[in-house]
Amino acid sequence: MTAALAVLAGAALAQPVTITWFVGLGAGAQPEQQAAQDAIVERFNAEHDDIRLEIVYVTNEVSVTTLSTLIATGEAPDIVGPVGGAGSAAFAGNFLDLTPLIESTGYDLSQFPEAAVENQRTDEGLIGIPFASFPAFLYYRPALFDEAGLEYPPAEIGAPYVLDGQEVPWDIDTLTEVAKRLTVDANGYDATEPEFDPTQTVQWGFVNQWAGAGAARQNVTLFGPGLLVDEAGNAQMPDNWREGWRWYYDAIWTHHFMPSADEDGSDLLAAGNPFESGNVAMAQSHLWYTCCLSGTEWDAAALPAYDGEVTARLHADTFRIMRQTDNPEEAFEVLTYLTGPASMDLLAVYGGMPTRPGDQAAFFAALDEKYSQGVNWDVARAHVAFADVPSHETPMPNHNRANDRLDQFKSLLDSQPGLDVDAEIDRLIADLQVLFDEAR
Amino acid sequence: MSARTALGRGKPSPLLREQRVWGWVFLSPWVIGFLAFTILPILASLVFSFTDFRLTEPESVSFVGLDNYRKLFVDPLVKVSLGVTLRFALLALPIGIVLPVALAALLDSKWLVGKPFFRTLFYMPYVVPVVSAIFIWQGVLNAQSGWLNRLLRLVGVPGPNWLDDVNWIYPALVIIGLWGIGNAFLITLASMQAVPTAFYEAARVDGASAWARFRHITLPMISPVIFYNLVLAVIGLMRYFEVPFILSNGTGRPGDSTMFFNIHFYKTSFVFFDMGYGSALAWLLFVITMVFTGLLFYSARYWVFYAAGEVR
Repeated sequence: MTAALAVLAGAALAQPVTITWFVGLGAGAQPEQQAAQDAIVERFNAEHDDIRLEIVYVTNEVSVTTLSTLIATGEAPDIVGPVGGAGSAAFAGNFLDLTPLIESTGYDLSQFPEAAVENQRTDEGLIGIPFASFPAFLYYRPALFDEAGLEYPPAEIGAPYVLDGQEVPWDIDTLTEVAKRLTVDANGYDATEPEFDPTQTVQWGFVNQWAGAGAARQNVTLFGPGLLVDEAGNAQMPDNWREGWRWYYDAIWTHHFMPSADEDGSDLLAAGNPFESGNVAMAQSHLWYTCCLSGTEWDAAALPAYDGEVTARLHADTFRIMRQTDNPEEAFEVLTYLTGPASMDLLAVYGGMPTRPGDQAAFFAALDEKYSQGVNWDVARAHVAFADVPSHETPMPNHNRANDRLDQFKSLLDSQPGLDVDAEIDRLIADLQVLFDEAR
Repeated sequence: MSARTALGRGKPSPLLREQRVWGWVFLSPWVIGFLAFTILPILASLVFSFTDFRLTEPESVSFVGLDNYRKLFVDPLVKVSLGVTLRFALLALPIGIVLPVALAALLDSKWLVGKPFFRTLFYMPYVVPVVSAIFIWQGVLNAQSGWLNRLLRLVGVPGPNWLDDVNWIYPALVIIGLWGIGNAFLITLASMQAVPTAFYEAARVDGASAWARFRHITLPMISPVIFYNLVLAVIGLMRYFEVPFILSNGTGRPGDSTMFFNIHFYKTSFVFFDMGYGSALAWLLFVITMVFTGLLFYSARYWVFYAAGEVR
């Protein structure tokens, strides 16, 4: 009898721990992406007797409600991902701080650039291991610069620009001037000329490509990093961002080199994919924008400096362990497998740049096959070192409501001329304060 | 002795009992579905409305009494969103009721050539999926490149910024809404064509004009259908969501003019995960809808004419 119980207990002890991997908050749930991930799960299970990995795919559109429902019903998965900062921020407070696990297992973080590691740090602690990086840089269309008789923006960060035969710093002021010259109306006048008709614009100088809903803070990071909450938990608008919003608003309604909301949705700008339309000369966007950029008539350049400093937004997708997991050690083992031995296969599926510098050559070789014009990918690589710290995706108190209020603010600037931007910012801060106070 | 017993129907026959059982068996999929997917969630939302239940923090749910209902009175967005819904209803409702009647009258006219073509034409948009229709209209109403403003420019009129101007957004939403009147139009037409021709012939003999015939015969005879369309339209307006949500990404743009009540409810529950307060918002919407529907049914006795001769 005792022996039988011992056998049964032994059998129970030998049961592998099941770790559930939830895919859908970011990339990975598309049908054509699933086979490769299924193969990785099979491989992991074949190599591990003590852990059984199960994968769950949920389409991106319903992933937030599905995950929140799973959490609400006590069925939270162990691991979610790949997911970026914005997707993670919606679930702020639900991720495990990996620091104790990293320390107890001796996991080596020095294999990643320091900025990429810091990018994963929030108030909850270190909630991810760097995996895929998507630095922002400047996309530009050489043909439009040629047409305007302008030099191309520099590829090297910090290098000067040659404007009207003179070297000038490649900074926000220069970008503004160049963008105005590249903004053209139907009669051929550019935005520096008095005859320019902003109601007839057919070509714009600059856009923040896809920095809309849920990502309002992306629009001012050219002016440096910042946080909307101070150390005491109060709402604030850093001076550099206040100046950034004024510049942003003037770019749309005074200088007209950035499209308004209505212009952005027009056929002239491919109904929401402005740089792809061919009617925008420069776009600040991330490496992930290569997902949706066809044609070869573009190149990469350095972002301009503000106050002598260059700041490049960094998006970093990775996998996270839910704090609700019953098996953090096993989940961490899976996490390090996904970001380690399986990373190259997964990065190929997701289209992300490996954060480990040594793995990047193969990734860019694949991109060169798609873009035969010979894009200078060193530009993308170099911008990682200028990542915005703290990240523009840092969760805020009462994050989802605060982010929604930010969206409303940006939407207002995008759509309404004649605003007092400072007054709107003050209103925003007051509203954020109420939301932050609710979270105390 | 009751009438049932007197008629010998006090005890159902085995055949009747069997038929009843089978009736319930065949009804059971719907009944089970109704209980599981309608009644249960309704009751659950009632319970949630007395708690601070957040989807992402299920472990910290506590009973908060009437706090969520008290919050309804201090939440500025409740007032804003109800105001938006009401303002839009004042514009959309009359047009949404009158236009199907007008179109049906046009299609019912003996002078119109190609009726089947027009009938199909007016109904066809109704079968277009709503999301596709919204995206199409978003393009059509774009101030820069939209067809509507291009046409206006052709005749020298600078088109408005339909979707980003607080003064034009409601007309724009009404225009988009007209895309879906095919169903109301079709049942109104069917009702109109069911009016006995003898009424019209008698009125003609009495010298009634076309307008008098329409006013005193057609309208009363189709009033049950108008009433039906009206009830559905009011309920539809209280549920109005997809169009403004897709157009503005739920931001309420321009200003707060598209912050309809349902958008506020949706965001509270499923974006902010505040299921407790979201449930209270849902119950407020339910009560308001019931009040409006009740008022409509009460008013029906004064203007809805039923062919059986009773005015209810």
